[in-house]
Formats: sequence, C-alpha cells, structure tokens
Amino acid sequence: MRAKNLSILFAALFVVAGAVLATGARAEGEVPAPPAIGATIEDFTLPDVDNRDRSLKSLAGKNGTVLLFIAVQCPVSNAYNERMEKLAADYKAKGIAVIGINSNVAEDAAAVKAHAAEHKLSFPILKDPGNKIADKLGASVTPEAYFIDQNNKLLYHGRIDNSRNAAQVESNDLRNALDSALAGKSVEKTEAKAFGCSIKRA
Amino acid sequence: MRFTKIVIPVALCVLLLGFAVPAQRKYGRGAKPKPLPVVSPIDTEALKGLITQQRERPLLVNFWATFCDPCRDEFPDLVKIDKQYRPNSLEFVTVSLDDIDQIKTDVPKFLNSMSATMPAYLLNVTDPEPAINFIDRRWQGDLPATYLYNEKGELVYKHIGRVNTAELREAIEKVVKKSD
Repeated sequence: MRAKNLSILFAALFVVAGAVLATGARAEGEVPAPPAIGATIEDFTLPDVDNRDRSLKSLAGKNGTVLLFIAVQCPVSNAYNERMEKLAADYKAKGIAVIGINSNVAEDAAAVKAHAAEHKLSFPILKDPGNKIADKLGASVTPEAYFIDQNNKLLYHGRIDNSRNAAQVESNDLRNALDSALAGKSVEKTEAKAFGCSIKRA
Repeated sequence: MRFTKIVIPVALCVLLLGFAVPAQRKYGRGAKPKPLPVVSPIDTEALKGLITQQRERPLLVNFWATFCDPCRDEFPDLVKIDKQYRPNSLEFVTVSLDDIDQIKTDVPKFLNSMSATMPAYLLNVTDPEPAINFIDRRWQGDLPATYLYNEKGELVYKHIGRVNTAELREAIEKVVKKSD
C-alpha cells in the first residue's frame, strides 16, 4: 500500500516536472525571431484594460495599423508617451490605427489602465497575458513598433525614431514608413533596431 | 591620595581621547566622501576602436542601463568576475545605455553602490543603431548584453539577457588559458 502511494507520488512529481520544463523551456533572454517583412500577421484577440476581448481586426485602421509594445515602468517607453499619443492622433484621420500592447508579466491591467490615464494615452491598449503575441511577433523591448497594412502585411518593424530624447530625433523611421504607405510608395527603411527595456516575459 | 588625584584624571583624558580621535577621523571636517566612479562618454567610433584594437588580454564588455532590472540584478556577479580576473588576465569594461544626463548621477551612483571599479562608459550617441549593429547585427539592443572578445578582437562568447555566471566563467577560462 505504502509502495503504491509512493509510486503515485513519484508519477505526479514526474508529470509536474515535465509541465514545468515544457512551459519554461525557453532560455532567459532568448526571444523568438520576428516575422519577416512582407509576412502576414494573423488576427489575434487580447483583453483590453477593462478585460474586454478585442480582436486586431476590430481595432485595425482602414489604411493599416501600428502595434506598439509599451510598458508602464520602462523609462524609455515612458519617454515616448507624448510621441506615441501624437502619432495616434496624427494618423487616426489618415486611417491608420495605433494599438498599444503591454506584455510585461509584472504590469497588470489595472496598472496599465492607471498609467494610460496618467499619461493621457487615448489609443487602445491591450494586455498580452503569457506574452503570446510578443512571442508571435518576436518583440524584445519597449517601445517596439510593427506597422501592418490593411491586409495585415508587415511593412515596418523596429523603433519609433532614433532617440528617447525627443529633442534629438533625426530619423522618424515609423512615421516615414506610415507616410510612404499612405502615399502608395514602398517603405524605404523596413527595419530599425528598437532600443528600450526588455519585455519581462512570464 | 595624591597619586589617584593625578592618575585618574589623566587616565580619563586618555580614555576620552581614544574615543574622540577615531570619531573625528570618521565624522570630522577633514573626512571626504568617497568620490563617485568616473563614467566616460563614448561614441560609436570610439566603441569600435575599443573593441577592435589589438590588446594583450581578452576583453569582456557588458552593455547595461540603470533602468534595466536584469542588468542591476546581474551586476554583483559581474563585479565578482571583475575582481577575480581583471587584475591578472582580463580587461573588462561596462557600457551604459542610459541617457547622457545620468552620466554624473544615476550611473556612477549605481556603480558606486556595487563597488564596481572596472572602466565605465556611457554610449553618447543620438542614434544607438550603428553601435548596436556594429556590436552584433542580431542583437536588438535589449539589455543586458555581454560580449567576450579574445586578444585579437574576435568575438568568442555572447549572452543577451541576464548572464549565466557559470557559462561566462567557462568562456573566460577558455579564452584566458588560450592567451597564456
């Protein structure tokens, strides 16, 4: 009887250990590769800060969508708050939607909501539990931008611009990509390294 | 009686002086606060020069920032590695990707709190992309990032994210032995 109990205990431990290994198999610092420029981003659904499910399709702009991985506590992401809000306002009228995504495990929906209110971020922000979309898109840092056209084709991936200091901006990479797409031209610089705080994954 | 009249006050004076002198050394006007470590600005070209120059010993470079939690977490391990290897067999520099405004404040304060004495730089550029691409085309600029070069300037080890100390020591041991 005792031996049987022990074998059940060991079997249970084995299953638990297997599950832990399976879920935590990715080495720290290792981020899945992002999709190639030109790849199609599948529709996805994430909860917003009020825990309502929102699909990419329901929030997308008629001329394209910018997905911005952002954070509550990251000073680099926070240095871009005003620029992100202005970007959303400037391009809304042009049919391009901006969607914020928070994938940081330690920043819950309530914190994201409070942060958005404090910094007057009016574009929708989605919470990415288990960083599934960050993994799918290979997002490493905050802020990091993905611009997809109306058919979800990836046209630009990377930084918003060259400097966290707004006074030192020389290269408006994301805006340039949006303007090219709106003008019917191909995007000249399709990728630029996004610099910021690492996304804290689950 | 006369003996006690003289000896006791003298002994008391000596005893008081014994407390007073170290206290003055510690808190007196002459005591200077420990100076903060010097953090030097470095641009992309100077960083390239630092890494590619011929040197006698391997070079370990850690990219970090005060806003980066895993960077701060791994720093005590890096300081231990620095104290163990830099005196004899390794060069070790840190490159902060903080804002230039923090070069005399947050960055040296943090280094000081860690008792870090390795040469410290802060990447002073308006656009970090050329530096990031020079270091590693596959690196997205996420921190921390640690690179080990041999004495010829060839990359022999890299780790993005919080460093695995055992793995880093193994890489250092290999390259240090090679250069002996």
